[in-house]
Amino acid sequence: MDKPFVYIQDLNLGYRNKTVLKNLYWEMNSGESYAIGGKSGTGKTALAKAIASLVPFQGSIEINFDQQNKLPQEVLYVESWYQFKNLEGVANFYYQQRYTSLQANDTLTVHAELVNYGKEKGLHFDRVEPILEALGFATFASSQLIELSSGEHKKLQLVKALWLKPQLLIIDQPYTGLDTASRKNLNTLLDQVAAEGVQLILISNDTELPNSIRSFAEIRDGQLLKVDTLESAAVEIHLREIPDFLKESPVYSTQDIVKMVNVNISYGEKQVLKNINWEIKAGEKWLLQGHNGSGKSTLLSLINGDHPQSYANELYLFGNRRGSGESIWDIKQHIGLISPEFHWYFDPTATVWQSIASGFYDTVGLFQQLPYTKSTQVDELVAYFGLTEEKNELLTALPLGKQRLVLLARTIIKNPELLILDEPCQGLDQQQSKHFNQLVDELCSNGMTLIYVGHFESQLPTCIEKRILLEKGEVKVVESLNTEILS
Amino acid sequence: MANYFNTLPLREKLNQLGVCDFMDSAEFLDGVSALKGKKLVIVGCGAQGLNQGLNLRDSGLDVSYTLRKEAIEGKRDSWKNATENNFTVGTYEELIPNADVVINLTPDKQHTAVVNAIMPLMKEGATLLYSHGFNIVEEGMQIRKDLTVIMVAPKCPGSEVRAEYVRGFGVPTLIAVHPENDPQGKGLAQAKAYCVGTGGHRAGVLRSSFVAEVKSDLMGEQTILCGLLQTGSILSFDKMIEKGIDAGYASKLVQYGVEVITEALKQGGITAMMDRLSNVAKIKAFEISEELKDIMRPLFQKHQDDIMSGEFSRTMMEDWANGDKNLLKWRAETGETAFEKTPAGDVKIGEQEYFDNYTLMVAFVRAGVELAFETMVQAGIKPESAYYESLHETPLIANTIARKKLFEMNRVISDTAEYGCYLFDQACKPLLGDFMKKVDTDLVGKNFNEGKDGAVDNRQLIEVNEAIRSHQVEQIGATLRKAMTAMKAIKTA
Repeated sequence: MDKPFVYIQDLNLGYRNKTVLKNLYWEMNSGESYAIGGKSGTGKTALAKAIASLVPFQGSIEINFDQQNKLPQEVLYVESWYQFKNLEGVANFYYQQRYTSLQANDTLTVHAELVNYGKEKGLHFDRVEPILEALGFATFASSQLIELSSGEHKKLQLVKALWLKPQLLIIDQPYTGLDTASRKNLNTLLDQVAAEGVQLILISNDTELPNSIRSFAEIRDGQLLKVDTLESAAVEIHLREIPDFLKESPVYSTQDIVKMVNVNISYGEKQVLKNINWEIKAGEKWLLQGHNGSGKSTLLSLINGDHPQSYANELYLFGNRRGSGESIWDIKQHIGLISPEFHWYFDPTATVWQSIASGFYDTVGLFQQLPYTKSTQVDELVAYFGLTEEKNELLTALPLGKQRLVLLARTIIKNPELLILDEPCQGLDQQQSKHFNQLVDELCSNGMTLIYVGHFESQLPTCIEKRILLEKGEVKVVESLNTEILS
Repeated sequence: MANYFNTLPLREKLNQLGVCDFMDSAEFLDGVSALKGKKLVIVGCGAQGLNQGLNLRDSGLDVSYTLRKEAIEGKRDSWKNATENNFTVGTYEELIPNADVVINLTPDKQHTAVVNAIMPLMKEGATLLYSHGFNIVEEGMQIRKDLTVIMVAPKCPGSEVRAEYVRGFGVPTLIAVHPENDPQGKGLAQAKAYCVGTGGHRAGVLRSSFVAEVKSDLMGEQTILCGLLQTGSILSFDKMIEKGIDAGYASKLVQYGVEVITEALKQGGITAMMDRLSNVAKIKAFEISEELKDIMRPLFQKHQDDIMSGEFSRTMMEDWANGDKNLLKWRAETGETAFEKTPAGDVKIGEQEYFDNYTLMVAFVRAGVELAFETMVQAGIKPESAYYESLHETPLIANTIARKKLFEMNRVISDTAEYGCYLFDQACKPLLGDFMKKVDTDLVGKNFNEGKDGAVDNRQLIEVNEAIRSHQVEQIGATLRKAMTAMKAIKTA
C-alpha cells in the first residue's frame, strides 16, 4: 500500500513555552484535502508551520510527494498575516508611512514582485494573468507594494500560491481581508488547482469552503482529530459589566465630527478618492463599505490625521478646518482606531497591559508612566475583557482573536468621541466576530460616534444606522438604514 | 573665510567645546509655541528635508519648501517629494523674504553657495537653522548680525525621524545656538520648539555648540563609524578568502554581521555586545581589542588633531575645489573590492552564529568605540557628545552596510564623512598588517568555541568584565540609553 502523503508521528511542539501539540499522530492520504479548525490558540498555525518545516519540532513528519506528478514537490505555507519588505530588505514600516509620497520607490511594484517570483520558481508569466483577473487584481500591477491595502496583500499572497501549484498547499485563514466576490472566486480557483493535483490544507473555521475540501479535522487537547464537519469555535469570554468610566457619555465640543467637501486624493496619476462629500454628526453610527481597493483605508486615514494630502483638501475635523494649526496629536486625542494595518505594525515588544495603556496617548508602544487613575482604568478594562491572566504577556504571544480584543480595549480606553473600527473582525471566525460586535454594541451605547468597516452584513454590530458605500474612490451610496434590514 | 574655531582664543575654544547638557523633559513644556504661526521655509527636500517637514507640519506648524529654479523647472525628485505631499514650493526669491525661519537641509558642500544666495533675501531678525555646523565652524561663514543662527540635528536617518514620530516617539537630537548670532536671545527657545515639532524631545535632547558638534561629528564618522567598519569588513572578508572559507558565506557574514553585533551594542553598550560571546571568546576578544587599541591609538589621535587644527577640512575643501578628484577615485576603488563584488551566499546564519563566528568584528567594534570616545574626551569634548558620535551611531551605520555593503554606506553618509572614511581606511589597513597575519579562522569564519572546553580562569574573567563595564563610555551610555529605550529595534535579515 502507498505511504500516506503526509505522515506525522509522535509530534510534540511548544509555542512560546507552552506545549500545544502532544504526541500527535496524523495521516493525510494522497488525493485528500482538509480543513483544519479548532479553538483559537489550540496550535493550528503551529501545526501548519511544522508541516511546512518552518519551525523546529520533536517527532517526525514525512511528506511523500508523488514522483510521477509534474507539480512542484514542495510544501507551500501561506501565512494568515503578510509581511512585505522594501527593496533594502527592511520589514516593518509604520503603517502611516504608506500614505507619504517619497520618490525613492523603495518597494517593488506588484508586477516586479511577480516577475521576481516567477523567475525564482521557473513559472510562466502568462499563467498568472488569469489568476490576477479572477481575483480582481490585474489593475494593481503598477502599484507599489507599500500602497496596497491589507486585503490586496492577502490576494497577492494567494496569487503566488495558485500560480506555483505546489503538491501541498497550506493556507492559514485563506479568507482574511477578502470581500464576498473574492471569496467565491478563490474557492473556484482552489477547486481548479485541486483538480490538477494540488492537495489543500486550509486552516479555517469558515463554513463556505471549496468543494474539494471533503475532510475535516480539529485540534483538541494537543491531538488532531478527524471530524465530520467543522463547528465554529466559540470563544469563552464572560461578559462582565462595563467599567463605570466607559458608561459616561463622551463630551462633544461640537456636533460636527467630520465634514469633507469635494475631497480628492491621488498618488501621481492614480486617483484614489474623487470628490468625496461626507458629514458625520456626533453620536452617529456609520457603516463604511466598498470593495478591496475602493479607497476606504485612505478615507479613514484622512479622519485620523495620517494622510499628508489632508492639508490640500477642504476637511473639517471636530469643528476645525484641517491645517489650521492643529497637530495630528490634537486630532487623534478624539479618536480610537483599529485597522488590520495598525495591528500589523503594532509594537512587538509591548505587553497586553502596555498596549492598552498606550491608547491614552495614541502612541504605538508606551513611553511614559501612567498616573494612578489611568492605570486603574487599564486594570478595570483588562478585567472587563477577561484578559487579567494575560496582562503581562506580549501582545504577539496571544491568539489572533485575543490580540484584536486587546486592540479594541486600547481604542476605547480614553472613552473617545469617535471610534473607527476598520475591518476589526478580519481573521476572526464567525463566533469570534459575533462576540466582538456584541462588545462594540455595548461600548457604543453611551453615545459614542462610530465608523465601522465590514464586508459581511451578517457580521456587523446592530447599532449601525447609516451606510456609505465607496466604489473606485467615489461615494456610490449614502443612506440611513433600518436596523431590521441588517439583523 | 577663516576657520571660525581657529579665530577663537583658547579660553573660548574650550568653552564652546564644553557645551554639553542633556536636557530635562521639563525644558520642553512650551511645546512648539515659539514657532507657532511663524513661516518655516526648508531649503532642500531630500530624506531629511521631507521627513522633518512632514513632522513639523503634523505638529501644527506652517512649513513650505524652497528649491533652486532648476530643480523646480526640471521637476526633480526634491520638487516631487514636496509637491506630492501638498507642500507649497517656491524659488528663493518667492519664499525666503517672508520666512521667519529658514532651514538649510542641503549637503555640506553646497552650504556656502546656498547661504550666500539666501542671506540677502532673509528678512531682518529672522532665523537660520542648520543641521550640521561645518559651514559655520570650518568654513567660517559669517552670518548677518541681525539673524539668529541655530542648529537642530536629529541623530538618525530621515526615514527614522518620520517613523518614530508617527508612532508617537522621536529620535535623539542635538541642538545648539551660535553665540555670534543670537541678537534677540530667542535661539534656544526656537531650537527647543523645533525639537518638539520633529518629536525629538521625547527621545532625549543634548544641548551642544556648533563647535562641539562639528569636532565630535567629524571624529566619529571618520574613525569608528565609517572608517573602522570599512577597514574591519574588508580585512575580515579577505582573511576568510585567504583561509579558504566559502566566499558566499564570508560575504554574508561580513555584510550582516556588523548589524547583528552592533544591535546588542545599541541595546546595552559594549557590555551587552561582549556578553553575547562565550566566556573564552570574550576573554580573547578583550585581549585582541586591547592590542588593536594600542596599534590604532596614534591614528585616532592624528585624525582628532587634524580635525581640531582645521587641517582635515582644509584638505577636503581643496578636493571640493578640485572637482572631488580624490573622493571619486577612492569611491571607485571601494566599489572594486572583492567583498563588494561577492554577493552574499544563500546560507542561513543564525543570530548567535554572527557573534561566535565573527569574534574579530566584536573586537574591532569595542576597540573602535572606546578609542574614538577616549580620544574625543581627551581633546576636550564632553562624554555625552562623544557617546552620541561614537557608540550611539555605530548601529545606524552598520544598518546601511547590511542593506547593500560598503558602497551603500558611503552613498548614505555625507560626502564629508565619506572623504574622512577613505582617509582613515587607507592609513589603517597597513597599520594592521602584522596584526592580521596572526589572525586565523577561529576569530573570523568559524566558531571560536569549536574544539575548546570552555574553561576559563575565574579571576581573569572577573578582571575582564570589570574592565569592560567600568569604562566611561559604558557609564555615560547607561544614563543616555534610558532616555531612548523605546526606540524600535533595527530589523535583521
